[in-house]
Amino acid sequence: MLPKATRPWTREEAAHLVRRAGFGGSPVEIDRIHALGREAAVDSLLKPDETDDAHPLPEWAKMENAMKEARERIEIVREARRSTQGMSEEEAEKMRRQKLQEIQRKARMQEIEGGQWWFRRILTTRAPLREKMVIFWHDHFATSAQKVKQPALLMKQNGLFREHALGDFRELTRAIVRDPAMLLYLDGQNSSKAKPNENFAREIMELFTLGEGNYTEDDIREAARAFTGYTLNRLTGDVTQVRRRWDDGNKKIFGKTGKFDGDDVVDLIFQQPAAASYVPAKLWSYFVEDEAPPAIVKELAKSFAASGFRIEPLLREIFLSAAFYDGTVMRNQIKSPIQFLVQMCRELEIHDLPLGYTQQCQQQLGQVLFMPPNVAGWDWGRAWINTNTLLSRYNIAGVITTGAVNAPGVENDSDEMMAAGEGAGNGRMLARMVQRRMQNWQGPDYETLAPRELREDPEKLVDALIARFFQADPGTKQRTTFIEYARSKKGVVFTNHEVAELCHLMMSTPHYQLA
Amino acid sequence: MKTRREFLKSTVLGASATWTVPLFIERTFADLHAGARDLAVQAVTGKDDTILVVLQLAGGNDGLNTVVPYLDDAYHKARPRLAKKEKDLIRLADGVGLNSSMPFLGDLYGDGGLAVVRGVGYPNPNRSHFVSTSVWETGDPNAKSNTGWLGRYFDNACSGSDPTVGISLNKTQPEAFGAMKNPGVCLSTPELYRWIHGGGEQAEAERFFESLNAPDDAVDGASIAEPAVGRVGSIVGESNLEFLERVAMDARVSSKKILEVAAKHRTKVRYDGTPVSRSLNMVARMIAGQMPTRVYYVSHGGFDTHNGQINSHDRLLGQLDGALKSFFADLREQGNADRVTVMTFSEFGRRVAENASSGTDHGKASCLFVAGAGVKGGLYGQQPSLTDLSQGDLKHSVDFRQVYATLLGDWLRTDPEAVLRGRYGKLGFMG
Repeated sequence: MLPKATRPWTREEAAHLVRRAGFGGSPVEIDRIHALGREAAVDSLLKPDETDDAHPLPEWAKMENAMKEARERIEIVREARRSTQGMSEEEAEKMRRQKLQEIQRKARMQEIEGGQWWFRRILTTRAPLREKMVIFWHDHFATSAQKVKQPALLMKQNGLFREHALGDFRELTRAIVRDPAMLLYLDGQNSSKAKPNENFAREIMELFTLGEGNYTEDDIREAARAFTGYTLNRLTGDVTQVRRRWDDGNKKIFGKTGKFDGDDVVDLIFQQPAAASYVPAKLWSYFVEDEAPPAIVKELAKSFAASGFRIEPLLREIFLSAAFYDGTVMRNQIKSPIQFLVQMCRELEIHDLPLGYTQQCQQQLGQVLFMPPNVAGWDWGRAWINTNTLLSRYNIAGVITTGAVNAPGVENDSDEMMAAGEGAGNGRMLARMVQRRMQNWQGPDYETLAPRELREDPEKLVDALIARFFQADPGTKQRTTFIEYARSKKGVVFTNHEVAELCHLMMSTPHYQLA
Repeated sequence: MKTRREFLKSTVLGASATWTVPLFIERTFADLHAGARDLAVQAVTGKDDTILVVLQLAGGNDGLNTVVPYLDDAYHKARPRLAKKEKDLIRLADGVGLNSSMPFLGDLYGDGGLAVVRGVGYPNPNRSHFVSTSVWETGDPNAKSNTGWLGRYFDNACSGSDPTVGISLNKTQPEAFGAMKNPGVCLSTPELYRWIHGGGEQAEAERFFESLNAPDDAVDGASIAEPAVGRVGSIVGESNLEFLERVAMDARVSSKKILEVAAKHRTKVRYDGTPVSRSLNMVARMIAGQMPTRVYYVSHGGFDTHNGQINSHDRLLGQLDGALKSFFADLREQGNADRVTVMTFSEFGRRVAENASSGTDHGKASCLFVAGAGVKGGLYGQQPSLTDLSQGDLKHSVDFRQVYATLLGDWLRTDPEAVLRGRYGKLGFMG
């Protein structure tokens, strides 16, 4: 066990827990967590009072509807084939393309809606740690809509991550073997006895459970044979192992021989010592600091193995440890784009953003939900920041704080997407949608965030906003500059617009990028 | 206020600093001594140096329909619907025809300013867009390197230079720019590459903004010689806050400079409205504005022509041709034509045989162009055989790193071996 934090529980520590084990919160929210005391605060995050189904799925994402749609798609393709008989090759091709485009457009719209649904859930949930773990698993078992192309399947996978968010990692790994989106993403669908595909066998060992150096190429080749035969029934959305496509011969994996199937391989993997340390090390860098110290990983691995690979006790140990509240750890994590956006909205007490805008922000900042760049997931930490993404963060803060009408930077995204190889139509569609919806968006309620009486004293106003946005001292120079700016604005009236600009300035700083 | 160079000369390089300097400056004393000469050269002669424009054709350009072996029966047999006939081509040599959507490049070839390198690829080719792009950008066929080939050029040959040594006209940093010290900057639209203030009194607001985004001891200029973003390891001792402050300063300084430059130059040359044209227009403006930039990176997307290829592929090549035509006319008008070389690349070529949807699937070796006044025009590399194939794909005869080596050695005038981590025979296409 890691040594526990024994010092008295401070409000700064409570704010730290709210940021790291969740997505930050309003001053009231932080007060509430602080009042609970350390143990009860951690418990309240680990055992949220919100059920899994508290945020109803969009209609199209419900499995029965998605499967109905899959059947319709097959029918459309069939119909296109029938109706093009007798046409010239080129006409037929044109017709086929048209049908395909219709299907793609629909999928694209669902992608946007799905992304919005999840973003909204992250923003408004009363179970923030659970959502934070859903993002962790999404990054860990990375699967992208770009390849899977059926948003409903990713929503289903998202539900799987939520169900197992704080549960048994081995169970989740078993479930991911049978997950339709993962099967399509790592080519399991095409892996048969005659032609085993090594993609999934490699990634499950290298990226999902053990890490490089803890298996051999032979282990992968043999495991690939065990993973053959898993097949997605596109009409029911279920994955089953079709016995006649499965290689039923003997395999030798990690020195053991048997007629293993996929579940057996998962069991064998979890007998390897590396399975106990791989995920704890990743969780430590996700929640605590960029590099997990070996001594800490060793301790966590012991607990993880002893608990039977359960996530909840592991997280409790982390959030109650003294190391989690160390001075070098607090306010020294670079926010991911999602963290940046959600935390900003929570601090501004905004409960929703216009459809499409969140996705546009995610694109600009380099982290689009449901679209990790590859099977290794996103690069975290400093990789989020370059000159362009940093300026984009500053400017997005400008749009969100001011509730911008015709905000600069919210249009003209279509070229970019064309350059990125996406269809021109998609990019324009999103850009137009965002432009339309942003025009009627009000932004934060500054009468509540910065009541008029507070604006009488620029220093008090700045300190209240510092407490809201930084929950700590951002440094003398920063505070002084904010106050100077506020003084220069305090003319006859301190309008909402001017408060918004002050908030924008405070967020346009290196400090604000840290959680 | 002192310029950056004066500041460095008078304080950092001179007497030992007795006051507290930000860590990132303190750490670079040693680097600066080594790089001081380059720094001076870079800043003074930047406007006369050679420039490389890397033009990515994203998606996998079909080399066979770009530079066409029209006399080869195997070509027509493999592509009954897609094959180009002799009359539809611009003849470059016997049996070598250029896609007629590219009249400008055809003329340039005639004038001796276009090198066509055929059969370019790498060992054990990978057909994934992602992996193969990574191979080209990192210059590592295993795609395991965490730095890019251009980033290593910035690190090795441009030490001490400011972040605008490399500019990518994309929103995200190309993997090729991944560097230990200086990753360049990336921007999509210069108008947006700045801090946008919603209230009145922009200038005044900016004063506050600048103060908040500068390290405590202001250096008038960008940061120097530091490990960069990305998967790259961080230096021991630099906290995340110090790292952010450094990037913030780079962003602020380069933003200011780029905006100034972009606003200055006006050209009489007309550019098309396509994204690639607009990007090259922007590059031309920055060159005219005497940016010290050595490498620009531009993308032209949509080459993943799995179906209905005929129209889309010709259209994309036509857009490329139009963009290059305006770009070179603009450079000539500026008097900068001699300083610029353009290299195209694509992650892979496409399958020799067309597919059932009148398109082509992911392939292997392909051709690329190197264009500019400094180029010794002609055909380089061998046209790969259309019958001796690797899983239906062309085999390569030229390693892409030979192209890089030629440009690095004979155009950017640096030691290619240090950048490419190996010795690759140059192809001789630079004059």
